[in-house]
Amino acid sequence: MRPSPRAKAAWRRCLTNPRVVTGGVIIGLMAVVAVLAPWLAPHDPQEQDLLATLLPPMWLAGGEARFPFGTDTLGRCIASRLMYGARIALYVAVVAATGAMILGTLLAIVAAYFGGWVDWLISRAIEVWMAFPPVVLALILLVGMGADVNKVILAIIVIDWTRFCRVIRSEALVVMVRDYIAAAKLAGFSHRQIMLKEILPAVLPLVITMMSIEMGIAVIVEAIMSFVGLSVEPDVPAWGVMIADARQTMHQAPWGVVLPVGAIFLAVLAFNLLGDGLRRALDTRLVLGRAEAA
Amino acid sequence: MRTLVAKGLSVSARLAGQTVTVLRDLDFAIEPGKILGLVGESGAGKSMIGRVLARSLPSGFAVSGGSLAFSAADGKVSDLVAMDGADLAQLLGDRIAFIPQEPLTALNPLLTVRAQFGEHLARLGVPANDRDARMIEALTQVRLSGPQAVLERYPFQLSGGMCQRVLIAMAFASNPALVVADEPTTALDVSTQATIVQIMRGLQRDHATAMLFITHDLRLAARVCDEIAVLYAGEVVERGPARIISQDPQHPYTRALQAANPPLRGPLTRLVTLPDQMPGLSALANLKGCRFAPRCPTRDASCEVAPPELRLLAPGHWVRCAPTCAGFRPPAPPITRMSAQASGSEPVLVVDKVAKHYPGKRDWMGRRGRGVDAVQAASLSVRPGEFVGVVGESGSGKSTLAKLIMGLEAPTAGRILIDGHDVTAASTATRSIRLGALQMVFQDPQSALNPRRPVERLVTQTMEAARSGASDAERLARATALLAETGLPPELINRYPAQLSGGQKQRVNIARALCVTPRLLVADEIVSGLDVSVQAQILNLLLDLRTERGIGLVFISHDLAVVRYLCTRMLVMHQGLVVEEGETDAIFARPQHPYTRALLAAAPPDDLDSPWPPSGPAQATLGAMA
Repeated sequence: MRPSPRAKAAWRRCLTNPRVVTGGVIIGLMAVVAVLAPWLAPHDPQEQDLLATLLPPMWLAGGEARFPFGTDTLGRCIASRLMYGARIALYVAVVAATGAMILGTLLAIVAAYFGGWVDWLISRAIEVWMAFPPVVLALILLVGMGADVNKVILAIIVIDWTRFCRVIRSEALVVMVRDYIAAAKLAGFSHRQIMLKEILPAVLPLVITMMSIEMGIAVIVEAIMSFVGLSVEPDVPAWGVMIADARQTMHQAPWGVVLPVGAIFLAVLAFNLLGDGLRRALDTRLVLGRAEAA
Repeated sequence: MRTLVAKGLSVSARLAGQTVTVLRDLDFAIEPGKILGLVGESGAGKSMIGRVLARSLPSGFAVSGGSLAFSAADGKVSDLVAMDGADLAQLLGDRIAFIPQEPLTALNPLLTVRAQFGEHLARLGVPANDRDARMIEALTQVRLSGPQAVLERYPFQLSGGMCQRVLIAMAFASNPALVVADEPTTALDVSTQATIVQIMRGLQRDHATAMLFITHDLRLAARVCDEIAVLYAGEVVERGPARIISQDPQHPYTRALQAANPPLRGPLTRLVTLPDQMPGLSALANLKGCRFAPRCPTRDASCEVAPPELRLLAPGHWVRCAPTCAGFRPPAPPITRMSAQASGSEPVLVVDKVAKHYPGKRDWMGRRGRGVDAVQAASLSVRPGEFVGVVGESGSGKSTLAKLIMGLEAPTAGRILIDGHDVTAASTATRSIRLGALQMVFQDPQSALNPRRPVERLVTQTMEAARSGASDAERLARATALLAETGLPPELINRYPAQLSGGQKQRVNIARALCVTPRLLVADEIVSGLDVSVQAQILNLLLDLRTERGIGLVFISHDLAVVRYLCTRMLVMHQGLVVEEGETDAIFARPQHPYTRALLAAAPPDDLDSPWPPSGPAQATLGAMA
């Protein structure tokens, strides 16, 4: 089936939105670097050169060309570790956001579609969930489950599905009062068909937008968890681990902290730009508002 | 002296690189104490004139020529198009007042009537201690009972008709020279419409105000206005005294408009419809000659060359048409509303004393508030091929009745039978009985058609349901057949709803309901959002479907004339009760219930000599209800 003109117009709005393009390009580049890290990185991320510890980046006095971003306390190449760290960051971002999205959207559509006690139950669950401070809840979960990067993903899903569920539910409620839902019922559609074929496509733009923002959140949460040692194994290079390692020598070698912080900042900024741009390009109310003004 | 004189007024828009003349060369004038009606279908540009006055044209649109001379009471004449923005702002709301289409959205829901009316008076320079008295006087003039109490209300606590009266009171508070009323009764019920029109006319006569009355309803304009200008695609095609324009129009478009309106009295003939629809903005650029020519039944080659001049036919009666086509009247064969063989057979649908009660919300102690009886013991039966009308105003429970019949809501009492099978309780079995026999056409195609589905997948939606298992080829074939049956061109099959016109959307809506070849359609206000000419096309389509398929119809509407045109039997609903039921002709001739009588009296009659709005007992009944 050829794409609908609505979908085509949405694509065009996305691709001409500077926020979407900027965010998309940054994330795209990061993804390429992460995937190609074994070939791009000048060193193995764990390879120690104890004769060249705490080297500054190559453009500062005392820097060496074979360590472009300098080295840490154990003489490991910061550039290589950043590249490998991007793998963890993006892995967590994609998997955790997808998981939270699926769980949240599913429950949201079910709540909006069936209403009644189902909606009541899901809405109360969201309220209880959101009463917990998320970082504390994540720490408790990870202490209980044990430290591991996949546990971090699980914690993010378990905590952040509410973020999706609350927003998507209210959007789905708007769709529910449209007559085409009643028409689908009269056409003999099953509950599953109505939810998947009529409601889901209508809330999809919002889902995509929220997913992008959720990825940014997941990057931060993973960095915090690996900073406190609850995420990856200590020998795996992750941005949070790098900050934790460089903390001791922050005053002699600030780049050890600044560079991974910069990487986190860039990734989160890119995801937020993308999400904000997608929201502006896909939100029908904003789009219509502009069309009327135009 | 004339209050407002438009001379050669033109508005252009820039669309996709080319300039389109949206309003072309408008001439009209309004004298003090007179009402000029601007009549046209949606897209004719009638609201654009109000926007020119208020200088709130959409961006890309600009006045490209002509003038709009406004004379205030002191005799000062100013051109509203050319004058300074700050000076115009002084005039607007004071000398020139507006009555909006949507009374409920025109008032701020967070402020009381006193706050909003008071602010308006403050702007007019009324001293603070006089304002209360002025407001109460103004609200009394629009016949709001208990004006003191109304002042303390919020807009959402008032009915649409009451809000509109408040807005009329505000509009006339400054004793303006000109009032622009843009579809002021379109959002209101028939009975409220009569009252509002009466109040508006009363005030306008007392103050000798000039009034611009913008409407799509030629019949209403004929009653309200002194003079009528008919707009088509941004041009005045005919202008003259209201009586002449409504009784003996000369332009083929005005005639078509008149012929498309089902009459309330007299013999019924098949409505004459025009092909296609009014050209959109982008199509206007390519129309060199008469803008009506592509749809005109009497066009000739000369019509497409240059736009015809406005010709004077009789004093004050102008028409923009070539002299050759005067006198042409399209043939209108009589219709038969009920096929004879259908009357004897067993009913398809029987609704037996069905009721729907919505319980009130529980408060924090778990006590239930007072509920609403949306429908109380409604009964009806429909035989194959029979068209039954359900008439009522908003809140009468007619839409709830439709939902009960379709099984979208469960009744709290009574039974619903299809072909003798009880389908009152929802189950898989009753659902499949319903699916085979009954389908619904929804009121608003905008809301009823999923914007993400192309026409083919919309009309064959039932074939997508789990059990049917139709192949893509079967669906395509069925969709093609359905488009042909509902008079839609085959090239629309891959379009999306956003690419269709209002009439086409409603046809798709009907085509979808026909996909399972139901024997009965339930149609809820399916023509209320459409223009008169498109409405006539849809009504004729429904009649043809009965002739070809013997399909039955439950037709829910607030419009008595439309129900009379289609239906052999009708029910009148009021506040959840069926107050009258019977043969349509009998009810129109001898209405029994006072509400039915009031409703019939409230619709503007075609005969201009009979008094309207109604006075006497009928008016009193409506007054009590409004």
